[in-house]
Amino acid sequence: MAYTREILTLSVEIGDAMLRSGAEIYRVEDTVIHILQAYEIEEFDVYVLSNGIFASANEGQEDACSVIRHVPLAPVHLGKVSALNQLARDICSHDCSLVDAWVRLEECKNIPEYPRLLQDFCCALGSATFCYIFGGHVIDALFAFVIGFFEKELLFFFARNKWSSVLKNLFASVFVTLSSILVLFTGLPLQQDKIVIGSIMILVPGIALTTSIRDVYNGDYLSGTIHLIDALLTAACIAAGVCISLFICQELMGGGFLL
Amino acid sequence: MTCVIQLVVAVFATISFAVIFSVPRRDLILCGISGGLTWLVYFVLTANGMGNVFASLIATFILTIMARVLAVTRKNPATVYLLTGIFPLVPGAGIYYTAYYLIQNDRDMFGRTGLNTFEVAAAIVFGIIFGFSIPQRLFNYFGSKKDSLGS
Repeated sequence: MAYTREILTLSVEIGDAMLRSGAEIYRVEDTVIHILQAYEIEEFDVYVLSNGIFASANEGQEDACSVIRHVPLAPVHLGKVSALNQLARDICSHDCSLVDAWVRLEECKNIPEYPRLLQDFCCALGSATFCYIFGGHVIDALFAFVIGFFEKELLFFFARNKWSSVLKNLFASVFVTLSSILVLFTGLPLQQDKIVIGSIMILVPGIALTTSIRDVYNGDYLSGTIHLIDALLTAACIAAGVCISLFICQELMGGGFLL
Repeated sequence: MTCVIQLVVAVFATISFAVIFSVPRRDLILCGISGGLTWLVYFVLTANGMGNVFASLIATFILTIMARVLAVTRKNPATVYLLTGIFPLVPGAGIYYTAYYLIQNDRDMFGRTGLNTFEVAAAIVFGIIFGFSIPQRLFNYFGSKKDSLGS
């Protein structure tokens, strides 16, 4: 019967979309299981990793079927997670028929990001505000604002050209540090370290760290490790970027101008 | 007065990053407020002489509870509020200073800041773990009806 296959495919598709947008393993697994149960499929197995989903239903019966999905690590989109969660709820409480579910799934997958300029502005504002709360003065924050704006443009450029995240973080960190040193030449009383700290906040692996903790907490050690390595590698790349640019400046100018 | 300024600035900081991670428009303010309050807790504790490791632990714990309460009341995954609110606490400054002292060849400070950065990260880990070890049914009182897809 095609019925089992359709339910299984739907639930795994929803799980796939959630995982892609940055939901933790436990939630994805839970969602798939809840949908299967809501349609009274009793025999099933679901195994979710941070980059794959394996699921089978009614094994040993006539309508046995299984689905395997490869899910690459993708940029976090919390709006999709939220919308898909709502969709899963509605499916489970049978407020949403199967036909509607497919339509709504497509809608959820196509939720756009915020417009590019707004993201640039927000990255700039975020850099400036973080610079301020970490002890910078207003004038430092102003420069962090400018650097943050161009940093996000740079990140968009990397994303378009599909750079690996290692290079992306390394170069963004180099860019931030070098430009923070360049603005020192304006002669204004700036705190170079605060400008950098504010501007690297967007690169800092807060999301990877948090997701990794939640996965480990729920017993998904393998997925937790994957995210943990992601977090450590990102932190190392940021540090390496800072080191490289400070080193270059020290070699070129003797480093006397640094704190 | 300083506290109010810090709170307001931290709210804007969190909202900006929430936009970048595509939080739905209706949740932006709540994300901002939870991130701002988290920073306020951290700021007040460190200003009163508490070490940054323990302050991070407490602030993360409070953030996790806020995120779970919001998750139940707004019927959203807790992840939305947790991921955005954690940003003010993530040790970006620690990463920078560790690299900076390495280049300055100041081995003593390099070791100290490096270790401190790891300690802060560990404190965040335990803050989240403690926050999630509170049973879900305590949070379900905040919701309008019982919901199996909570947390």
